[in-house]
Amino acid sequence: MIVDFDFFDIPRGMSDPAEIWHGLVRKGVPPIFYTPRNGGHWVFLKYIDIVEGYRDHQLFSNHQTPIPPIEPFPVMQPQGVDPPDHNVFRKLLAPMFTPLAVRRMTEGLQHRANTLIAGFADAGGCDFIEDYAAKFPTATFLDLFGLPEERLPEFIALANIFFRSTDSQVRAMNVTDIYEVLDEMFRAKLREPGHDIASAIVAARDEAGGRYPWQDILNCGFLLFVAGLDTVTNTMAYVWRYLATTPEARAHFRGRLDDPAAFQIAIEELMRISAVSNIYRRVMRDCVYKGIQFRRNDRVVLPNMVANRDPAIFDNPQAINLDRKVNNHLTFGVGPHRCMGSHLASGRS
Amino acid sequence: MYVVANMNICQGHARCEDICPEIFSTDDNEGKVVIAQSEFPDDLLEKVRLAVRNCPEGALRIVKGGKA
Ligand code: SF4
Repeated sequence: MIVDFDFFDIPRGMSDPAEIWHGLVRKGVPPIFYTPRNGGHWVFLKYIDIVEGYRDHQLFSNHQTPIPPIEPFPVMQPQGVDPPDHNVFRKLLAPMFTPLAVRRMTEGLQHRANTLIAGFADAGGCDFIEDYAAKFPTATFLDLFGLPEERLPEFIALANIFFRSTDSQVRAMNVTDIYEVLDEMFRAKLREPGHDIASAIVAARDEAGGRYPWQDILNCGFLLFVAGLDTVTNTMAYVWRYLATTPEARAHFRGRLDDPAAFQIAIEELMRISAVSNIYRRVMRDCVYKGIQFRRNDRVVLPNMVANRDPAIFDNPQAINLDRKVNNHLTFGVGPHRCMGSHLASGRS
Repeated sequence: MYVVANMNICQGHARCEDICPEIFSTDDNEGKVVIAQSEFPDDLLEKVRLAVRNCPEGALRIVKGGKA
């Protein structure tokens, strides 16, 4: 049941990070195992166990989950809160991320994308990740929050430290800096509301007509700032690499511009194969679960990239099939914490 | 044939809407599924079935005959 496995240790040059998990599956390690690395945690390897882990939010909490543990860790609203408290902010944000709402954002986002492209178009080329994929999610955040393009470098610097720094002091400072910027921004939106999500968040009222606690509003901004950064950058990198090197795939998409259902089916397949996030949960009580003794506060990793290629669920799971008819991938999770930004991320428009 | 949704389970993935927009859409409030026509015509059976099978939450069900 114990395997020495460090999932942060990805060999250089490995072109498909899902391989670190599939290597384990091939070795025949138990489908639920414990590794002492990174503070110690469980790993689930089967689709069905991962789905059940997502669904059972009473046993597997989404509150204070980082691996290795960081305490205290900012409470992200609503992602880091369990139902029923979670439902309050989820309800507040949900209308801003429905397929319809996302359709309304298309124009603004296209404009932000074009601005980034214009920045390197004359040079005739770019470093895709550095010049585009790493900047686009932050540009998107600025658009959702009604902030001007000039602030892009400042926000990119904040995001880079958040995701790249391993120095705990620098990280703690960085979180403070992000909260300061958010605080200043939300205050400005209180004075001068615009047609953006930040304004909607500060203007929102709870069921009794009261304001939401300021700290919750900041936490909510924090989630929106960090939620779509690295995941989007990394997914974009995989998707564009595949499209750049696979002319048939480009033709496939081009041939389906007039068939939104088929176009989306192909997108979902790229989402399945390009899953990047490994989701963490924290065990809430001592218990025997699926025949295994779990302890309160044990951490659990639910790696979407292994679930999405479970042969018990997907035919020929390692192959990219842009016409895959049934595709219940877990890239955006399932259950009460399903990724709210999925429609934005997958460009449903 | 009828199609019904368990609204407690639906999390608004909109996969159903992608696949069979004739029957499914999502509301503008929570993004949850809206079924335009619970009793759907036979010629949409394949599409509805596919939508049901693609719901990641298992929130949709086809019921034969009477309404569930
Ligand atoms: S696919 Fe399922 S969860 Fe998603 S909107 Fe449709 S019914 Fe709801």
